[in-house]
Amino acid sequence: MNETNKARLALLPALAERVPAGHIGRTALMKYMYFLQTIRGLPLGYNFSMYSYGPFDSDVLTDLGSAEMLNIVDVSPVEFAGGYGYRITPGPKADAAKRSAVQFLSDHGKDLDWLISVFGKFNSAELELASTIVYVDREFAKTNHHASISEITSRVNEVKPRFTSEQVHGFVEDLRRQGVLVSTDRIMSKAV
Amino acid sequence: MHTRFEHSLGVMHTATLLYSAIRNSSADVLQDELGYKGEGLDRDLQLVRLAALLHDVGHSPFSHASEELFPVENGKKYKHGDYSAAIVRTELKNVIEDHPLNVTNYGFKAEDVAALLDGSTTAKQRIFWRDLIDGQMDADRMDYLLRDSFHAGVQYGRYDLNRVVNTVRAIPSTRGRASRLGISEGGWHAAEGLVLARYFMFTQVYFHKTRVAYDVHLRGALKELLPNKQFPLPNSEQLREYLKWDDWKVLGLLADGQGGEHGARLASRDHYRLAYGSPEISNATDLALVDDMRKELGSLVVAEEESSSSWYKTGKPDIPVVSDVDPSTVQPLSKHSPIVLNMMPINKVLLYVRPDATEKANEIVRGVLENERNKQSAFGFASGVS
Repeated sequence: MNETNKARLALLPALAERVPAGHIGRTALMKYMYFLQTIRGLPLGYNFSMYSYGPFDSDVLTDLGSAEMLNIVDVSPVEFAGGYGYRITPGPKADAAKRSAVQFLSDHGKDLDWLISVFGKFNSAELELASTIVYVDREFAKTNHHASISEITSRVNEVKPRFTSEQVHGFVEDLRRQGVLVSTDRIMSKAV
Repeated sequence: MHTRFEHSLGVMHTATLLYSAIRNSSADVLQDELGYKGEGLDRDLQLVRLAALLHDVGHSPFSHASEELFPVENGKKYKHGDYSAAIVRTELKNVIEDHPLNVTNYGFKAEDVAALLDGSTTAKQRIFWRDLIDGQMDADRMDYLLRDSFHAGVQYGRYDLNRVVNTVRAIPSTRGRASRLGISEGGWHAAEGLVLARYFMFTQVYFHKTRVAYDVHLRGALKELLPNKQFPLPNSEQLREYLKWDDWKVLGLLADGQGGEHGARLASRDHYRLAYGSPEISNATDLALVDDMRKELGSLVVAEEESSSSWYKTGKPDIPVVSDVDPSTVQPLSKHSPIVLNMMPINKVLLYVRPDATEKANEIVRGVLENERNKQSAFGFASGVS
């Protein structure tokens, strides 16, 4: 197992421990990894691409399965009206996994704190929307396009027509205020 | 032997079946959540067919064997889908946009096709169909399992395609989350069969010790042959250069004796031999044993392959199943299938040595295993199978 893989597995219980509820779901895990890699630049080596449910890389779920098998996390299904989810909590080997990537977790402790402070209270639908906004923003930034709030709102609305433009606009404004977006008001050549 | 072209035709065919089935079974979801009407669905069927046909045009020589040699840019390691999309946007742009059928009937831009391949948001609400191209129940997987089984002469990859097609659904959004592909309750065994087919094909064919050894040699030889030991980037400056690297060019170079040690081994079919392989589902103790083996074998180990790094890796499947009685009730496949519930990602590790080191390696491996047995006995565990 290389250092990147150790870091990826160690992040799972570290994230679950940091959220106030003490557990996270699969959607939250997927989007948290996306935010950490894309916004905070953590070298996780994932390759996210867009689906109707937001940025996704199946490697995140493979890592979750590996962590479950190695008792780094416990994963249990949760049913609710009309649907289902998963509850991911630290497992018996969580501390050992974190020790194997202690430097990585120490280097990025502030990134995890930031992540939880900005996105920790978002539900699954909000995380899908927020991550889609960040994805659209990075697409604009990649082509050095200085995007307006309404351009980002419009593109996100095209991908997620179920949300009203007011809902999306509110999220875009909020994320911009948090300093998460790079295509709206930064010098494009420096954008990641 | 079969080619990527016939696979691509198969993926287009399967995508057509799935699309048509979803259109019939989930018209309300497509209309209410994605805004589709009849004409739009007719049009986008052709778009999905094009994306399915072209999904593999970006493959490097010998497909996934050499995918590790794709470059990394800004922390992102490229995949063949990125090359497919780049080729569609550039080399195939005029072919698509100027085709008389397209001009008269559809007006597709190359970008429309590429967006479904690499997940660009220019796909707009059509991104929903990306699950048919690259997802847990995609047409690619459904085709390659059956096709590879047939051509490899095995039955492991077979499943009930017709039943999957008849029961595939667009699952309505729940709790504000996006709609996605799933299966109706009556089809969960067919979905289970698809998951198991993939598991069996992985363990019996794709991650077979000898097939993996040839991946090592193909990758090693290509590393020798490629300038900078990696493929050119999928950008406007380097894409043409990338396209020159096809199977025929590489086979010619190998026939000329190039490709170093790995090229020579391919030419003489003198592949590396497996010294030790961990269980398919390796726990912490199993992985610690791999560490011991690696340490004791030392420099005899010339290649190490992990199934978790393989493109074909199985992951942990989770297909939504919608109730036949109450369409608003959705449960994971693992709720229905105890087999899927207990499936774990395969994390097998294979350690290879050169053929002339096989005997010595076997001796070392036997020694490590004996030590392990002695350790277990010392702690009061019985060794062997009772």
